[in-house]
Formats: sequence, C-alpha cells, structure tokens
Amino acid sequence: MPKVHINGKEIEVAEGTRLIDAFLQNQEEIAHYCYHPGLSVAGVCRLCMVEIEGNPRPQIACNTIVQDGMKVTNKSESIKESVKWVLDFHLINHPLDCPICDQAGECELQEQYMKFGQYDPEMGERKVKKRKVVDLGSKIVLDTERCILCSRCVRFTDEVTKTKELGIFNRGDHAEIGTFEDKPLNNNYAVNTVDICPVGALTSKDFRFKQRVWYLQDKETICPGCSTGCSVKAYYNEKGYFRLKPAFNEDNNGYWMCDEGRALYRHANKEERLLQAQVKADDGSSHMAPGAATKKLAAEIQGLDKQKVAVVVTGQYTNEEYDQLISEWLKPAAIQQVYHWKNKEDEWGDFDGLLLRRDRNPNSKGLQDRLQKASLVNDWSQLEKNLEAGQVDCLVVIGPEIQAYYDDMQDKLKLFQKAKKVIWLSSNPVENLVADYHIPMKTYLEKDGTFVNYSGKEQKIQKMQNIVSQALSLSDFAYLIAGKEIPLTGAAS
Amino acid sequence: MSIVKRGNLKNSWYLPAILSGLGITFKNMILNLFGKRKMLTLNYPEEKYEYSPRFKGSHVLTVKKDGSIRCTACMLCATNCPADCITIIASEHDDPSVEKYPIAYEIDTLRCVYCGFCEEACPVDAIRMGPEWQMPGINGANFVHDIRQLAKRPNLKGGVVSVLDEEERHKAGI
Ligand code: SF4
Ligand code: SF4
Ligand code: SF4
Ligand code: SF4
Ligand code: FES
Repeated sequence: MPKVHINGKEIEVAEGTRLIDAFLQNQEEIAHYCYHPGLSVAGVCRLCMVEIEGNPRPQIACNTIVQDGMKVTNKSESIKESVKWVLDFHLINHPLDCPICDQAGECELQEQYMKFGQYDPEMGERKVKKRKVVDLGSKIVLDTERCILCSRCVRFTDEVTKTKELGIFNRGDHAEIGTFEDKPLNNNYAVNTVDICPVGALTSKDFRFKQRVWYLQDKETICPGCSTGCSVKAYYNEKGYFRLKPAFNEDNNGYWMCDEGRALYRHANKEERLLQAQVKADDGSSHMAPGAATKKLAAEIQGLDKQKVAVVVTGQYTNEEYDQLISEWLKPAAIQQVYHWKNKEDEWGDFDGLLLRRDRNPNSKGLQDRLQKASLVNDWSQLEKNLEAGQVDCLVVIGPEIQAYYDDMQDKLKLFQKAKKVIWLSSNPVENLVADYHIPMKTYLEKDGTFVNYSGKEQKIQKMQNIVSQALSLSDFAYLIAGKEIPLTGAAS
Repeated sequence: MSIVKRGNLKNSWYLPAILSGLGITFKNMILNLFGKRKMLTLNYPEEKYEYSPRFKGSHVLTVKKDGSIRCTACMLCATNCPADCITIIASEHDDPSVEKYPIAYEIDTLRCVYCGFCEEACPVDAIRMGPEWQMPGINGANFVHDIRQLAKRPNLKGGVVSVLDEEERHKAGI
C-alpha cells in the first residue's frame, strides 16, 4: 500500500485512493465544493489545491491518485494564496445574500469566505444578475445567482437517479443551472440535490424559512419509511422536529435517501399527535392519561376468555418492544390469537432500484422472527373468520405509526369493527376510527430500539426528544395491560 | 451591614447638618426662581427629557423607501439576543428580489434588557434602538410589541427609513 506524507504526517492509504480522500480520512482540512464521494470527479471548483513536492504548480487533490512516496501539503503560503484567489473567482458574481439564504450556517462557501475574509469581490465590474427563486416543482427552489456551478447536482441526476433533469445552460459568466424550460425536478430522490449543493442555490421547499439551521440539533436514527431502513439524521429543537437528512451508511443507503422518507418527521410533531387516551364512555368519549387508561383497560379484560382476545400487530415497532409484548403479556396471559397485519404483502418484493421498497414497514422482519420464535404465527383469514363469527370479544390493534402507507386502512377499520371491543394503539389520530380505547404511542423519534431491515441487518434507532411525554411505548403498554408497573430501569424506553 | 457610630461631639449634634442642608435648599430655590433655564428638575410628565438619538431606548423596525418593512427575517438579532425575547416568523415574499420577510416580529419588552445587541447584529439596519424611553401601560397592557408597534407607531411619523437600500445596491451592481 502506498505511503504518503500529508502536511508532514506519513500515512498509509489503499491503492487508488484519491488525494482528497487521504486528506479527509486523516481529518486534515481541505476545502472542496465539486468533489462528493458519492459522485464522479468533475474537478471544476479548483478549491482543493495542494502542493506536491517535485511539481512546479499547485494541483487539485480530487483528481489526483495517491502515489507511493508523495509529499503533499495544503498549508503552504502559496496554496493559501491560490485558494484565496480561487475563492475570489467564485465570489465575483455571487450575491452573498446570506441573511435571506436558507443555507447560511451550513454553507461551505460561507465558511470559506469567513475564513479568508473575502466579504466583497475585488472586481471593478458589476455583478451578473441571474434569476432568483426559480420554482422547480413541489420540492425545490433554485437560485441561479447563488450557484457556484460545481455540477454536483447535475452529476447526481445523471449518475444516481439517471433521470438527467438538470444541466448547465449558457456559457461563461452567464452559465446557470436549470432544468429544460424550468420543468419540475420531481423525482423521488430530488431533494438529495439540496443536501449536496454546497451553497444555497438549491433549497428545499419543505424546510425553507422554517428554522435557521443553527437552532437545530441532530441525531442519527433509522428511517421508518420502508424496509430498506436508511440511516438518517433528524433535526429538531424545542419547537419540534423539522427535517430528515440522509446519514452515510456504507452498506445500506450510501449517501442518499428518498424524498418520501423525508416527510417522516411531521407525524411526530405535536399538531398531528394524539395527546390523550380516548376512552369510550356511555356519555360520549372521555380523555384520560394513557397510562391510567391502560390500567383501566387491564382491569376490564382480566375476566375475559383469553381465547376470545385477539391482537393485531404491525411491523412498525422495535424488536425490544415486540419482545416485551410477548414475554410480559401474550405469553403469561396465554393469548394465542396474534395476527400480523401485512399491507399488500404480495407487492412487498417491489423495489424501485435505488432504495425504496414496497414493504413500508421498517421492522417486518423483526416482527416475523419474533412471532415465529414464540410460535404465534396465525393466518389472517382465521381472524376474519373469527370476527365474522362474532368470536372476538376484544381486539387489540397495535396500529401503524405511519398510517399513510396503509392504504387498506378504511377496509380494515370496517372489519375490526366486528369485534365487541376495539382497542387501538397509535401515535396519531385515525380517521373514522370507532374504538373503545385509543391509546397514544411514542413515535420512532421518541424511543430507543432496533429495526431489522429487508436484508436482516439490525439497526439502532435513538431517542431524541419527547413530544408527547405521556405517550406509551409498546413495552410500557405490555407491562400495564399485564397488570404490572412499568419498571423504572431496563429495556422499557 | 453594621452601623458604625462615631462617638465624637460634632456628630452627636444634628442641628448643624440640618441647617446646612436647608441652606443648600434655599440657595437653589433662589437660583431657580431667578435663573429658570438652568434648573435641573423637570416637571415630568408635562415636560420630557429628549435623549440623544444614540440612546438605547425603544426598538424601531426601519422601513424601505416604499414603506414596507426592511427586516429580512434573518434571525441574527434573535440569535444574538441574550434575553431571548425576539420572536420572528419568516415567510416567502411574492417578490423574488425580496424573497424572505417576517410575517411576525415580536419583542417582549419586559424581558428585554436594552443591551442593543440586536441592533448590532442586524446586517441591514432593520432594527434600531431609538431615543424613546416611555412605554407605560396599565395592568394587563401588552408589552409584547409587534411589527405595527415597532415600525409604525405614531411617534415614528410613518416609519424610519433604513440606510441600507437593496435596490440601490442592485443598481450599483453589487
Ligand atoms: S446548484 Fe448547487 S450543486 Fe448544483 S451546480 Fe450549483 S452550486 Fe453546485
Ligand atoms: S428508501 Fe425507505 S428507508 Fe430510505 S429514506 Fe426512503 S422510505 Fe426511508
Ligand atoms: S436590546 Fe438586547 S435584550 Fe433587548 S431585544 Fe435587543 S438584543 Fe434582546
Ligand atoms: S431585524 Fe435585522 S437581524 Fe433581525 S431578523 Fe430582521 S434583518 Fe435580521
Ligand atoms: S473539489 Fe477538487 S476541484 Fe472541486
């Protein structure tokens, strides 16, 4: 393996490594706009200049492959000088409207010019004005003036989605990014271009102007949108959750995620949540604290014939929760009628070729494994038969957290209505639901746990901040319904 | 705190001190009667003191030449505010050259410490602290000032125009 000296440090890197990666792997700072590890090399921004011993002129690190014995630096005066002037070229026509730019705070251009103090271009000419606030469909807004023509977005649509919507039009300082006749950029991976755009030229309509990025914290978790289970970062503050972005995961989603998955923070915010348990009483429905409601329910179903209690589970909860449900409640209470609600199972194999899978549950596999191990696998038709025959006195539905993906929801609601008593567990209100108990649950952003993705890979989700702190996790529910107290320590989240 | 009593004779007599105090009072009374202009006391509230324009009193949101609000809703003032008393809700503007503007801008004047950091942070001279200093209100009055109050209160006579004009900058090609 070749050895290189980077800023005086000798390191060993793999054969064929790009010089820029050698820098980044060693936490050496190197400014770069056009290079992105998930895309091909363009070498157009000229910012990643380095000095290689023996070469008379500075060279770009992104398009240079490491050779054994190379001595490279980007700390010399001449490199600093050239980076400064390259930056000046980038700023010739850049509007520098950071106050209204949504990228401010996470903008690489802003970082660099702050470092080099290039607040104003050193050019006598007037700036070339270009189009601002160009509407590129329902997801993205383009500002051609702020674009530094790094071509990352163009390469993304060429190489990753292969939809080829974006291109660079015109020449010279009139060159600008755009789609042909401003056609919308609406493919299901389009917002990734917003993430990789190093400046604020592409901004997301969903996030625009909602929050300044420096008010947000982020934590890594797993997207609950489908069985791929992309690694994502959720951004939040005390006002709620604001966006999801992909997090690098080498052997799953790489650098990307789909746009449908990006919306999966909204259902966790307070406006959309079920805040209190709804309990049907003789005189209409009343509100109760979720824990108290579950305790009341536990007392009510204690005397029921366990053969007539059925439980419907969806694959949207964590392994830990299923384990507790089985070991704390189903097994001790000898409940045998457990059914896995699979929405459109015959299409579960469908895959869009990039990331998105038709099985819109993050943990179908985990649930299946656990039901199998506990020998609680029952055929769905059995439930239908029992319901028709009026054999179900109490039906507990551990409903989907992301209801939008269950397009058979309304049909199933009608079916479930045939049970004498319906208990529904979900984090959000359900349209047209008539339940005796509707108990609010925690969302995936409010608990720790494990999802198993389509390939059997176990991935951890993380608790960030509670939005509805009284909501129960499935483990909490299992303890309470079994007549026990929630343990203060241990697996319960 | 302890009170130290000095036991000397001069201090145990209170009359000399009272007399010298009354002397000062009478001297000033005579001076004020005959030299009214030099008088330090104001008959507040009929007479009010005018502070210099640099005084850090009530906030003013400046306006553009067309009278619309200058603020771009960049949130720098809210970020810099040590009392965390500025609330801004940003929104998309119809005019692409404006792009972003505040649909709500509120300062909780009871929490404000009048430090002037907001004024200092603003990149476009959109918020200033003016010489006004009287903001009385009776019980239950609203001390959370909104855009209308900050930009268009009667005292401002139609609004203070910001020194930084975006259109002029555009015309100059910056
Ligand atoms: S829009 Fe952004 S990503 Fe695309 S070329 Fe311009 S700066 Fe690069
Ligand atoms: S592909 Fe699936 S897991 Fe990945 S972001 Fe989209 S919905 Fe989420
Ligand atoms: S004067 Fe100081 S405390 Fe008051 S709003 Fe401005 S920054 Fe905040
Ligand atoms: S007043 Fe100034 S600093 Fe505050 S949001 Fe408006 S433009 Fe930004
Ligand atoms: S990162 Fe190397 S030229 Fe742009």
